Amino acid sequence: MLEIKNLKKSFGNKIVLKGISLNVYKGDIIGIIGPSGCGKSTLLRCINYLEKPTSGKIIFKGNTIDEKDNLEELRMKVGMVFQQFNLFNNLTIMDNIILAPVKLKLLTKKEAKVEALKLLDQIGLADKINNYPSELSGGQKQRIAIVRALIMKPDIMLFDEPTSALDPEMIGEVTNLMQNIARDGMTMIVVSHEMNFIKNFCNRVIFMEEGNIIEDGTPSEIFNYPKDDRLKEFLSKVKNK
Amino acid sequence: MKKRLLFLILILMLFITGCSSRKEGELILVTEAGFAPYEYYSGGEIVGVDIDIVKEIAKRVNKKLVIKDVAFDSIISEVKTGKSDIGAAGISYTEERAKEVTFTIDYASSKQMIIVKKGSTITSTNNLTGKVAVQLGTTADAFLTGNNKVDLVREKKFLACIQDLKDDKVVAVVMDELPAKELITSDMVILDEPLVVDSYGMVVSKDNKELLDVANTVIKELKESGKIDEMIINHSLSDKEEKEEKLTFYKRIYNSLIYDKRYEYILEGLVNTLIIALGAVVIGLVIGTLLAIIRNYYDNTNKLRLLNGFAKLYVNIIRGTPSILQLMIIYYVIFSQTSVNIVLVGILSFGINSGAYVAEIIRGGLNAVDKGQIEAGYALGLNYRSVINHIVFPQALKSTIPSLGNEFITLVKETSVGAYIGIVELTKASDIIASRTYDYFLPLILIALIYLVITYVLSKLVSKVEKRLNKNARN
Repeated sequence: MLEIKNLKKSFGNKIVLKGISLNVYKGDIIGIIGPSGCGKSTLLRCINYLEKPTSGKIIFKGNTIDEKDNLEELRMKVGMVFQQFNLFNNLTIMDNIILAPVKLKLLTKKEAKVEALKLLDQIGLADKINNYPSELSGGQKQRIAIVRALIMKPDIMLFDEPTSALDPEMIGEVTNLMQNIARDGMTMIVVSHEMNFIKNFCNRVIFMEEGNIIEDGTPSEIFNYPKDDRLKEFLSKVKNK
Repeated sequence: MKKRLLFLILILMLFITGCSSRKEGELILVTEAGFAPYEYYSGGEIVGVDIDIVKEIAKRVNKKLVIKDVAFDSIISEVKTGKSDIGAAGISYTEERAKEVTFTIDYASSKQMIIVKKGSTITSTNNLTGKVAVQLGTTADAFLTGNNKVDLVREKKFLACIQDLKDDKVVAVVMDELPAKELITSDMVILDEPLVVDSYGMVVSKDNKELLDVANTVIKELKESGKIDEMIINHSLSDKEEKEEKLTFYKRIYNSLIYDKRYEYILEGLVNTLIIALGAVVIGLVIGTLLAIIRNYYDNTNKLRLLNGFAKLYVNIIRGTPSILQLMIIYYVIFSQTSVNIVLVGILSFGINSGAYVAEIIRGGLNAVDKGQIEAGYALGLNYRSVINHIVFPQALKSTIPSLGNEFITLVKETSVGAYIGIVELTKASDIIASRTYDYFLPLILIALIYLVITYVLSKLVSKVEKRLNKNARN
């Protein structure tokens, strides 16, 4: 479904991605792990061109993404969830969710509202539709952000450290929601430090370091039989935490 | 984006052409109405000897007389650029002026007299020394410039000269004999010997031979029939104000506001100040928002490089030059060949000026919005336009409201510069009244209060808007 070919990205002189190639198939749930600064967030952000790749190709459902041509179509079909939630501060929860589908004419305002209520009801936040983001807890905000991405009916969802900015007691509510989405068959790429989630719900784990993919395998291969020393060292550090 | 810009330019063009058609059948006289008995305000109108003469000329050429009141030093350029047909303001012949415009034959002679306090050591033209006040651009100014015995204080108004003498800021005033007689107080004297004698003429454009001939004929006739002397006496008498040394406070209020319906000047000034400020705010907001969005668009997408450069240049030029200069350039250079409503010129000029400041305020506001907000919008497939319209702009607006309010308050006060091209706004209104009552205190305090009330109401309004926006969305 998504093909990344020899993707390179540098900021000035600093090379962050050194030629990443990756195939993502429908239904894949891919976890990306690695020490901070290894380029995993940048990789995610390059996929929907929030960072413009320096070179390389992104091929989505057979179409090569071209910034001038079909970028917005790609973005509509690729959901993104941010570490800092990034709910629109000036809009109510309802407006946060329905802004894009209505503006992009995917749904009428009425349909969007019905759909939003349905999704909010599933996460138990239907009573918050008229609240502003500042009135919500971090966990609530992140779940709303996920709903905001879901209403677009994306083919794939990118999670950029979705629980890193949360208080520990709120992590569960967000990972639970992610698990529900995973169960429904969503294709997902998750950059996360939540090793439990990665272990239990990903069918494939990628370990990155210094802009390269070092290992790529099943959770069992990565966590139980790591080959590379760098991965072993990383895992031991994570376990000791 | 491009469509909107085009639309704006179109509106501006309509605005400009719509008011620039100079009417046939009008004779435009330009003067500075604070020079009794030649030109002064009475009963809401400009009257005086010069006006009476030009009325005769207008009658002769069968045109309707329109009078414009501008700063004295603008009169020559008004006539030269053809914005006005004839200038009459007790203008003395000088070579410099004659290079720019043509003088008619003289219609009255002017004696530049020295006014001193009683008991002054200055007793004749020979020992005129020390600080001397004159009106800027008058014969006295020209005559005394370069005289190193005197230290010239150039005032905008005769009245201010007299006030300087009264307050001992200067030791003498040099001005025309007739207004001098009108203005002096009981502790002053006019020295017998005139410093210089010259004569007043009117000025017309160098290529308006036709009008020059008519004017010369009319002046000649009026002079020979003794009509001009009659006019001078008439206006000197009708212009007599009560000049008791000690007026009661009530009487001063009465003189400044009620007598001769002088409150009407303040009302007119207030209306013009408000119209100009409001119009300029709208233009400033439109220009400022457009420029800010162009620059933000370029910063975000690297597109519209040329327009971005233009926007930068605009802000630099407008912020880097005084607004009074911009006003004069727009009036005397850009609109030099057309007669245009000066209030509209004011709105346009102050709007263009404000636009530069508003652009920077809004640009700052747009930049201050969290980048994550923009990325979240893009990630959902929204384009730049939707992201700006629905997410960034509303948030930026909220944070810029205090600075915008500040800019609008500044703008209200800035309109006082408009007096320079003859707009009767509040400051000019108080000037007109003071030029009749010789009492600066009351009208100045009054308009200061009016400015205060306007800006106070404005700041209340701004904080109300701010509160409402804050109630909706807290960050």
